Amino acid sequence: MAEVQLVAEPGRPEGSRASRRLRHDGRIPAVVYGHGIDPIPVSVDARDLRVALNGEAGARALLELHIGSTQHLAVARQLQRHPVRQTVTHIDFQVVSRDEIISADVPILLIGEALAVHRGAGTVAQELQMLNVKARPANLPPHLDIDITDLEIGHTIRVGDIQLPEGVESDADPDQAVVTGQPPQVAAVEEEPEAVEGVEGAVPGPEAEAAGGEGVGDS
Amino acid sequence: MLMPRKVKYRKQQRGRNSGMAKGGETISFGDYGIQALEPAWVTARQIEAARIAMTRHVKRGGKVWIRVFPDKPVTQKPAETRMGSGKGNPEHWVAVVKPGRVLFELSGVDEALAQAAMERAIQKLPMKARFIVRPGLGSTPEVQV
Repeated sequence: MAEVQLVAEPGRPEGSRASRRLRHDGRIPAVVYGHGIDPIPVSVDARDLRVALNGEAGARALLELHIGSTQHLAVARQLQRHPVRQTVTHIDFQVVSRDEIISADVPILLIGEALAVHRGAGTVAQELQMLNVKARPANLPPHLDIDITDLEIGHTIRVGDIQLPEGVESDADPDQAVVTGQPPQVAAVEEEPEAVEGVEGAVPGPEAEAAGGEGVGDS
Repeated sequence: MLMPRKVKYRKQQRGRNSGMAKGGETISFGDYGIQALEPAWVTARQIEAARIAMTRHVKRGGKVWIRVFPDKPVTQKPAETRMGSGKGNPEHWVAVVKPGRVLFELSGVDEALAQAAMERAIQKLPMKARFIVRPGLGSTPEVQV
């Protein structure tokens, strides 16, 4: 993985007001730590950061961080985002060395089209979006590809089935499901209203017909 | 409709709904989502109406996640009642939603269909909301600044 150059300016003022002013000026507050160095509060240019972390490796890019006269090899460890705008408000850079094994969450991409599933009117359900892997910084894959062409209804591709690139390992449970071919769901039938049990604090009235809703996975 | 099976206390105070979501503001399960842009109380009926609008538009395929749960009882006094004599009766349940909260997620369909379905669901909700895509999916950048 090629390193991406990024210039970080040290000596930024700390605190929420100063950080807000920095963001207003098009800079993102950040901190650099790791390998025994004291945490350094820095700021990076927002545009440069966007270019650096939207390349082929995405947010897992290996960065050559220029802080004043020093250089550090670093990865973006944690990104804080604005809850509505989803823009990055703060970023943690962790200093790494080339020989060190680091862990990172790598996205799982599905390749191909599961014709057998679509023919049977089923759906392909991706249960796991990211896989935590361990590798040297240069060996970290930008993403893990899984071919789902042969996936059939009722079949599951598990973590153990993923072929990791050389030098990459994962501690995840090999039996954990990644992708499943789910059978077609029966057309929704109006449920018979269930009587609410005489529980303490149950709410009476017209809402009583609605017992037993589940929050997940209905279509 | 969604409601708690059992609660410890039947009536709650209203509380304040200030600030922004500090959890549940990212897409965690599916590929597409509906994100609230304003604070609101979303009733169980509205959640159900939005879910039905979405699933009917998708027709087949697709999987829906509901990321909010109406666990707050709302009371009302009967019409033409004199004031006093205590708090009203619990009438319905609401989910307290703050800006940024992801309300629904959807996967298993293409983006155009997901957007059309979710725009219909947004019409059933009491506040402004928008359609969002998981960062890194398709042309959506992983890092926005």
